[in-house]
Amino acid sequence: MRQAFLLDLAQCIGCEACTIACSVGNELPDEVTYIDISERVRGTFPDLVGGFDNHRCYHCGDAACVNVCPSGALYQEDGLTRLDWDACTGCEYCVSSCPYGVPVMNGGVATKCDGCREVTRSGGTPWCVETCPSDALQFGPRDEIAAEAHRRTEALRDKYPEVQVYGESQAGGLGVLVVSPEDPEVMGLPLAPRIPTEANLWQELVKPASFWVTSLAAIGAGVLGVIARRNHMAEMQHLHGGDHAAAATVHDHEQTATPTALADDQTTPPSTGDDDDEVSR
Amino acid sequence: MARAELSITRRQLLKSGLAAGAGGAVGAGALGGAPASAATAGDPWYRTGEIRTTYNVCDMCPWHCGIVVHTVDGEIRKIDGNPNDPKARGQLCPRGQGGISFMNDPDRLQAPMVRTGERGEGKFQEVSWDEALDLIAQGLNQIKERSGPESVAVFGHNAGDWWWADHFAQAWGTPNAAKPSSALCISASEEAAELTFGFPIGGYEPVDWDELQCVTLIGTHIGEDARNTKMQDLANLHGRGGTIITVDPRFSSAATKADHWLPIKPGTDTALLLAWMHVIIEEEAYNADFIEKWTTGFDRLVEHVADKTPEWAAEITDLPAEQIRETALEMAANAPQALIVPGRHVAWYGTDTQRMRAVYLINVLMGSYGCEGCLHFNTAPYIDDYSLPPYQVEGSAGGCAAEPDEDDDGPLGDLPEGPTGKARADGVQESFLQGPTALQELIEPMITGDPYPIEGLICYGTNLFHSVPMVERTKEAVQNLELFVAIDVLPMEHIAYADVVLPEATYLERHDDLYALAHKTPYIALREPAVSPMYDTRPGWWIAKALGERVGLEQYFPWDGIEDYLNTRLRSIGSDLDDLRARGGIIVQEGKPFFEDFDGESPFLTDSGKVELYSSVLEETGHDPLPEYEPPDEAPEGYFRLLYGRHPVHTFAKTQNTPALSKRYPENELWLNASQAADLGLSDGQRVMLENQDGVTDGPIKLKVTERIRPDSVYMVHGFGHRSDGLSRAGGQGASDNRLQSSYTLDPISGSAGLRNNFVRIASEA
Repeated sequence: MRQAFLLDLAQCIGCEACTIACSVGNELPDEVTYIDISERVRGTFPDLVGGFDNHRCYHCGDAACVNVCPSGALYQEDGLTRLDWDACTGCEYCVSSCPYGVPVMNGGVATKCDGCREVTRSGGTPWCVETCPSDALQFGPRDEIAAEAHRRTEALRDKYPEVQVYGESQAGGLGVLVVSPEDPEVMGLPLAPRIPTEANLWQELVKPASFWVTSLAAIGAGVLGVIARRNHMAEMQHLHGGDHAAAATVHDHEQTATPTALADDQTTPPSTGDDDDEVSR
Repeated sequence: MARAELSITRRQLLKSGLAAGAGGAVGAGALGGAPASAATAGDPWYRTGEIRTTYNVCDMCPWHCGIVVHTVDGEIRKIDGNPNDPKARGQLCPRGQGGISFMNDPDRLQAPMVRTGERGEGKFQEVSWDEALDLIAQGLNQIKERSGPESVAVFGHNAGDWWWADHFAQAWGTPNAAKPSSALCISASEEAAELTFGFPIGGYEPVDWDELQCVTLIGTHIGEDARNTKMQDLANLHGRGGTIITVDPRFSSAATKADHWLPIKPGTDTALLLAWMHVIIEEEAYNADFIEKWTTGFDRLVEHVADKTPEWAAEITDLPAEQIRETALEMAANAPQALIVPGRHVAWYGTDTQRMRAVYLINVLMGSYGCEGCLHFNTAPYIDDYSLPPYQVEGSAGGCAAEPDEDDDGPLGDLPEGPTGKARADGVQESFLQGPTALQELIEPMITGDPYPIEGLICYGTNLFHSVPMVERTKEAVQNLELFVAIDVLPMEHIAYADVVLPEATYLERHDDLYALAHKTPYIALREPAVSPMYDTRPGWWIAKALGERVGLEQYFPWDGIEDYLNTRLRSIGSDLDDLRARGGIIVQEGKPFFEDFDGESPFLTDSGKVELYSSVLEETGHDPLPEYEPPDEAPEGYFRLLYGRHPVHTFAKTQNTPALSKRYPENELWLNASQAADLGLSDGQRVMLENQDGVTDGPIKLKVTERIRPDSVYMVHGFGHRSDGLSRAGGQGASDNRLQSSYTLDPISGSAGLRNNFVRIASEA
């Protein structure tokens, strides 16, 4: 059954209980957090509005990170994007493909919220939801969470005329349905999340070609993982510049994508900061 | 054995960062092909062994939520809110979640130490507990013989303070026991309630949030002040569409949720409160039945606020008169399910008892007391104390308060005296009217010897240089002491000045007395250790007993271990430790929260049995019997008023070194209004040095240039600017509001220290 989180930004008071519960429950190293809370206040004193961002993995229904992952370390289960970092080869494609900028590298492997895999598989509640003192988080079957999000939205309309549910349609429907007290764009939640072009290319072209890497990674040996990663990097460099024959193969399959991104970029991965390098989804 | 080894493997992996990531690396069979060894090594903590559950009371802040502690193979892995606990309700705040990290802080004090260098130098020699305690006993006895037991002061803070500032102090015979949680925090609120209702309101504000429709927060910044229950209550109110009014010079986290934000000029709250009363009375929006039945002095109050119009207050408070009128009517429209929460830290301007009286008076005008959605009455839990001989001095709990004397015509009773006839040395009844012992007023006698010398200090968990104003004076005072004993978990700055340092076990490693709380539903909660104390640390109760037995107080410590003590108390309610554990660590009893629970009797304990809108005690003692607005000190030209408050991941000056919390907020920032920053040519993120009105400098501190604060004030999170060499993370991070509080304004009624009449300017860019 497809599961989902409710993230009610009208309720979140930015206390960070979720952040710390997540870090402790998931035994994250000090330099990693899966939830990033920051204030978002607009206006000029004393005419101010705002609240808090609670930035986290949104568990996209059509997840770019899963699509680009060559090793199968990222995969979907019950509507949540899981991460088996023992299988991660450290290629960083997920880092550069995520429209929300969520995965980060740590100790040579990617890391991000995996929806408290072992907890939720056995029917438990994710650590962040378990502790939230401001009733901003819930977890459950996605249809029930959606209904709750809409119920809350209606209840809050007097207070927040622009309140709406975000995430029902974005990126194949998110696994985090956000009650956004204002226009989601104002809250930093893009109505059309943009995914770097490279990610699409990878999904369409490179992934099938590197099936052998996936197989290797599944053996789970770290050394082989490193070798696999080196091979990936070599392959990407090969595709992006060095060997015209190989690049032509790419072009055969994706003539209309953004050939300039491939042709111009000499290193891997290409820049994702420019709108020209992104496609709307 | 195999499990322990695997657990270590997992920890090593985590430390090296190779196993970074979420709770489950690879569950057995998760991906089919994963080798079994990898699968087991990566098991989440709750699968590496049997989970042992213990019940405890969180001590990461003074709110004291009930918690459930999960331990696997002798290691605490996770803490959750206790679902049976009336305050936690299964949830927990960030500090509570970080408790394991507090315990595992490698900077902890590890063994008893005796000072070998100069005071402040931080040179110590580790000694055995016997040596340390013998030395302390010898010092205490010398002071007692020379000057009397009253010349030893005992300061206590945090959950174990009963053993010291209450029990040990009373048994020893000193009335000079004090807690920073009184005069540096809630005394004014408590004394205002005492004068108005005949009893203190309690630090756990008795607000019936469940049915509340309109809440007003004056300075209370729930969300940044992360008291678990209050965050839940405010969120629930917000979620059901209730009205939130915040009065704060800052656009606080709570203000982001508010329907009305009143960015008041600091120190003018009483003018706002008087104007609100004016509107409520003028519009006849008060609860006439309640006032008739339960109050005295209404006519005088009506007369008193007749000229306190919104327009009058607007001039003073820098708020629009219309906003004052509108918010008063909004509160009244929701009455009696509308109230101003008393708040907790109210030691602001030295006029705080009067302000708190005004807060209570508005609640009473709205009839918001003793009904659903109002202030409710707290009931103490039913349980016997451990039977002990009479103390050497009675009433030391939070200070030896005066007992009203039946032979005395005046409103003030005689102060309890110690064995050599000396009453408390903090100047109560002379420089202020009443209240628990004012900790900051015991510092001066250490220097001057007036009214009598204080030569010894036992400092339990009180962060002496980060909570008491006039830090330099405090340093001078402790230099004068004959004996300075510090009992603490971490090497805070004052530790370097102590003669003997005793390392305490944290709340997760020790028992304590039962946590028996007066509450809407009074309850009794258990604290028992999840693990044995780390290093050579000991529980506070153990230290108190061991020391007591060395100074001839063994009759006050007759129990055979802590479980005997706890079982003896529990048996008075037909329970014991096993039973308490079986009940999930909490016994909840029935309270009497509402008028209907009093069978027509008055719940108020004033002489009149009514709410004293007009205070006869204040009149008789020469204070304003009705709250008057007194303007606060004005900032000197070029200075900003220094405001301070909380960050949700930190408590006092206690948690800045805790790894899991420090990483979320490692240093405090100085909030400066954007227009002021532009005028001064300063930008966000820049580091600056601060100088206060007395030339005290502190910093560097990072600037947070923001629209979220008034132009006349700056703000910083309290508790930073640690200078202890022993605090590897917190040392040198940010600035200390406490050091910049080189003066305070004594509240002449409660003895609390108003801390917000201090001012700073940006002295230089750092």
